[in-house]
Amino acid sequence: MAKETETRMIVISPSSSVTPDQVTRTVHSLGLEITVKETCYGAMIEGSKEDVHKALAAIRNLDPERIFTKVRGVPIGDARRCRAHHGSRPGFTQLEKEWECLRLVDKGVSAASRGETVCEVPRPKRIPVKRLKEIVDEVSK
Amino acid sequence: MKVFIVPPNSLILFDLVERYGHEPLSLMGAIHERVTNPEIESPPVNVTPEDVKKGLKYAGIEVPSGIRGRLAVWGPLVDQADAAIIMDDAPFEFGCVGCHRTDEMVRYYIKKRKIPHIVVRYPTNEDEAKAMVAKIKEFLEGLK
Repeated sequence: MAKETETRMIVISPSSSVTPDQVTRTVHSLGLEITVKETCYGAMIEGSKEDVHKALAAIRNLDPERIFTKVRGVPIGDARRCRAHHGSRPGFTQLEKEWECLRLVDKGVSAASRGETVCEVPRPKRIPVKRLKEIVDEVSK
Repeated sequence: MKVFIVPPNSLILFDLVERYGHEPLSLMGAIHERVTNPEIESPPVNVTPEDVKKGLKYAGIEVPSGIRGRLAVWGPLVDQADAAIIMDDAPFEFGCVGCHRTDEMVRYYIKKRKIPHIVVRYPTNEDEAKAMVAKIKEFLEGLK
């Protein structure tokens, strides 16, 4: 494989109305020399860096704040990762978790693009052991 | 500018860094070079003996080889980085990056290099997500 190639994962946020099919059709309609594979979370595209970036710009236009992308280490269909060849997917749990998180992150991206002012929210602290004991006592009475 | 991300294969961080005009330094990029390089040793060995030697720069010989192997890939990325974003509270099942000791050593190495960095958390609700994205955006826009 030439050095300049790039493989990208296109991940659609769960809150977006864009479908993986729309993404792949958009890529096909561009007529670029890139490989595209439709997946459950979006699509994977592979080709020369220049073409991949052209395709990314078009894909992002479908829903700029709800389509996310990252580089993929192994090429599409690589026997070490492809499920068709019983490859392992060590990164899939992370992708799944981050995909779930995207419905929150896209709200953040929208707020940031609107220039909304936000302040950091402190997380609730854990209950002290003393209070936990009180609750247990109350419940077990 | 080149921005190192922790977890180094995070989709959210990779996208946000690129979205706000910087180059993310990720694990996937480093792995891509290794698995597509024709000179690599026969697959599926992604880490060569040379990599393990490189790992010695970042961790002592008494450190388990798994950590050194990971640091051989992550360490050079930290060396190249001009800034870093660390995202805390990753779930325990975070696949191939779930090695806590490597994670700690990478954080230590980022602090040792004294490059600008921020620490954010994985959001659990909308307000936290808005605050997280705003903090990352402000940090990235402030990098020159």
